[in-house]
Amino acid sequence: MDGKIIVVTSGKGGVGKTTITASIGAALALQGKRVAVVDMDIGLRNLDVVMGLENRIVFNIVDIIQGRCKIKQAAIKDRRIDNLYLIPASQSDDKNAIKPENMVWLCGKMRKEFDITLLDCPAGIEQGFRNSIVAADEAVVVCTPEVSAVRDADRIIGLLYAQSITPKLVVNRIVPKMVENGDMLSHEDVVEVLSVDLLGLIEMDEYVVVSTNTGTPLVLQEESKAGKALRRIALRLDGHPDLPIENPMIQKTFWKKLSSKFSRKN
Amino acid sequence: MSLNSLLKKIMGKPASKDVAKNRLKFALLTDKLDVKKETLKDLQKDLIEIISRYFEIDKDSISIDIQRSEECSALVFSSPIISANHNRGVPAAKIMPVHKSPANSV
Repeated sequence: MDGKIIVVTSGKGGVGKTTITASIGAALALQGKRVAVVDMDIGLRNLDVVMGLENRIVFNIVDIIQGRCKIKQAAIKDRRIDNLYLIPASQSDDKNAIKPENMVWLCGKMRKEFDITLLDCPAGIEQGFRNSIVAADEAVVVCTPEVSAVRDADRIIGLLYAQSITPKLVVNRIVPKMVENGDMLSHEDVVEVLSVDLLGLIEMDEYVVVSTNTGTPLVLQEESKAGKALRRIALRLDGHPDLPIENPMIQKTFWKKLSSKFSRKN
Repeated sequence: MSLNSLLKKIMGKPASKDVAKNRLKFALLTDKLDVKKETLKDLQKDLIEIISRYFEIDKDSISIDIQRSEECSALVFSSPIISANHNRGVPAAKIMPVHKSPANSV
């Protein structure tokens, strides 16, 4: 059976696309799938450093497309997680080095080699975005609970529907305390504004910074809340669509529980 | 709920996330109504062509615009009529609604 192509996109930059792509890829590979993650940000590659594979790059996606190497030669095998491969972006070209028809060809080949191919889409709606969505079967839209990120997500969702792709939403960097105080959009607010299906909720988590510092997979950190949420997102993407979505909550101490009971009575 | 947010509630200040949500809804609405100048010009040309079949109109005083408010948005087209084009023999009443039509029909 042919593999799936899933694009991870957001419109706005800096909302966590690359970390989420790397983590979902790792989690899917841990579930036993043969997974490739592809950095589509030509000229500004980062998926390699987030995954800790930057020292092992020989060929890149532009080399594959221009016929200088085979997919197998460019795909870097992750030594910590079986069946996880990275195809890095080129750092010296720009987005116009790849055309949509090249991506249709490449994705056709990827479907034969891998169960799941995740495309880490660059920010924006220009060539890099068009290249990333042209052959995608599914789309994961990432946004944070901020007006700028939600507005850009809305634009991206519109463009995905125009390509007949039904997107699923991940709300990233939720701060439960701020949501409870009414100072951050809740995921319900975001879903209402965007009217789109929810795939998962990820809490703001310091483990993300630490694991990016060292280039270790976040999903291997058992204690990380974001890592756990991402493992569940990967399950929902592949075979378990009805796995319940956990809502990030404040870890309440005894005294806080007591005082919140009092304030409710008042 | 923290003391701070409780105080804000007592003072009648809306939660900042509700402000964000309302601003977002309005921004998305206007984003979707964002039409290129050329598109409006093309529409105006087509409208003039059709209306001219029925009315003699002052082509220089025509205005076309999309007006937005929080409740609704409308495409407003106004055109001074000089006279009905009697050669057509079409009742004027049938054509009147052209003056104002909801934007979502565009």
